[in-house]
Amino acid sequence: MISNNHPIEQEDLMAYLDGELSTDRAATTLAHLERCPECQTIASDLRGVSRRLLAWEVEASGPRLAQSIANALETFKPEPGSDVKIARRRWQDRLDLRRWSRQTWGVAVVSVAVIVVLIVGSIPMRRYEPGLRSMSLPPPPPNIPVNGRQFDKLDAFIKPQDSERSANTQTTILATPGDFTVGLSGPMIVRTAALALSTGEFDKARARLDDILKRHHGYVGELNVATPVGNGSTFTATLRVPADQLEATLADLKGLGRVESESQNGQEVTAQYVDLEARLSNARNTEERLTNLLRQRTGKLSDVLAVETEIDRVRGEIEQMEAEKKNLANQVTFATITATVREDYQAQLQVVPATTFGRLHNAAVEGYRDMVDGVVSTALFLLSYGPSLLLWGGLLFFPARSLWRRVRQKLAQ
Amino acid sequence: MTSDEALMLQFQGGSTEAFDELFARYREPLFGFFRRRLNSCERAEDLAQETFLAVIRATSRYEPRALVRTYLYGIALNLLAAERRKQSKDAPVDSSPEPAVSGAPYAVLWVRQALQKLDPSEREIIMLREYEQLSYSEIADLLRLPLNTVRSRLFRSRMALKGYLESESKPERHVAAAEPANSSKEHEARNDK
Repeated sequence: MISNNHPIEQEDLMAYLDGELSTDRAATTLAHLERCPECQTIASDLRGVSRRLLAWEVEASGPRLAQSIANALETFKPEPGSDVKIARRRWQDRLDLRRWSRQTWGVAVVSVAVIVVLIVGSIPMRRYEPGLRSMSLPPPPPNIPVNGRQFDKLDAFIKPQDSERSANTQTTILATPGDFTVGLSGPMIVRTAALALSTGEFDKARARLDDILKRHHGYVGELNVATPVGNGSTFTATLRVPADQLEATLADLKGLGRVESESQNGQEVTAQYVDLEARLSNARNTEERLTNLLRQRTGKLSDVLAVETEIDRVRGEIEQMEAEKKNLANQVTFATITATVREDYQAQLQVVPATTFGRLHNAAVEGYRDMVDGVVSTALFLLSYGPSLLLWGGLLFFPARSLWRRVRQKLAQ
Repeated sequence: MTSDEALMLQFQGGSTEAFDELFARYREPLFGFFRRRLNSCERAEDLAQETFLAVIRATSRYEPRALVRTYLYGIALNLLAAERRKQSKDAPVDSSPEPAVSGAPYAVLWVRQALQKLDPSEREIIMLREYEQLSYSEIADLLRLPLNTVRSRLFRSRMALKGYLESESKPERHVAAAEPANSSKEHEARNDK
């Protein structure tokens, strides 16, 4: 009998021991079981009954059973066309109105009603909006072949404004392309190139770089500009352009100045991508199985927590692999160019006309500065070495004086 | 590990290896199912064999709507019911469906006697749960009972069984007629207490 102090029924307790309770209910039951001696007794009784029932074991079946089944299997032949018959019977069952449940009838009625409403609703639209069908849509953007494939939504993630902003603000900007997918119709190659240029027209080269990127649908990944004193300006840019535009972009970039060095590299990552997809698929299946396990099975709270922890771990792996996959696809779709442009620096000879007053003023200032520097240097020397000099001087003074007196006496003799 | 349902579909497609695997998985459980409910070991084997043969014969009609385990035990329950009807016609005087108990350890005898005292429907539920390890919903599907009925009957039968087992294990309640001639020392010691 369950008293009012028990938040659970005895049958719930039994179901918990059998692993038949939902997760939240199992947690409640466990929490109560841990502190209720009465329920602990009942649980112990239930476990004892199950334990005692297990004493009844039966002997193993004889070989006759296996032999007869083996004989039956030898003569077994799958019925020809059984798949077609099964499919036909399923459809017959589904179309048999007598077998329909109330839920099926409900779904059917609602579906018919929705279809009728959609048909009726479409009539006035045709009547009152005749121009809807004839309205001209803007032409779709041209399909740009990407790495040997057509990529329809390339414009959706090209952000020329990013490169504009980077050129104007002269700060580091990381552009982020949108989501996209890469098919596996051919090898996947990550292409990179490095180009070093020098030019006498640095500012023009900067402006033309932006034009080149716009023309080839690329964007600036990173841009650093340095203008050191007494040296020419330099900018280093990491450019991302569609892989099939790499050659054309490099050709245009070479027009910015004199080529000092150039290198290109291609790394095939097809195997890596396929492996990543397979691992991702496996991880998703594992997550689904664990989720189903958590939903359908109950047991000890520790087991449930262990499954939840495992789900968290698998989910983390999935997210990591999805990011890797996205990054890999991005690298394949967009080639990376590291462009360094240096300004040709020409040192200029500056002749400053010096006046007499100016020279005297400068000499006075330099003389004063040298005097202060000398005083400060002496003070620093005394402060740094003074204590040590005093100490050693004090220690060596009397022996040195004694020695000096002896030497002087000998010289006097 | 391939699921039972996948194996069944493979067998439907003609793979006898798939059925071999299914047979290996359910051979002993099905034999145990019949053995605990029938007197004769041979009849238990026959009916287990009949169950598998029924599966083979009905392969083309199999649809993965339910678990293969439920499907197999459903066939087994039908065969068991037919067997009991046949036994009651052939030998109406000795209609006990329980297997013979001679030569078994006392713990097993007490379990059998306690089970025998249960209501048949409750006995079937607790046996399906404890020995066949079926879930509540599978038992409800097999016996065509509401889930809550299965749960309440299972609890009731377990509590009743607890009482029966406690009373059975007391020395003064031992059934002398059921004791085998070569009784063990352990049992003698209990009787001496």
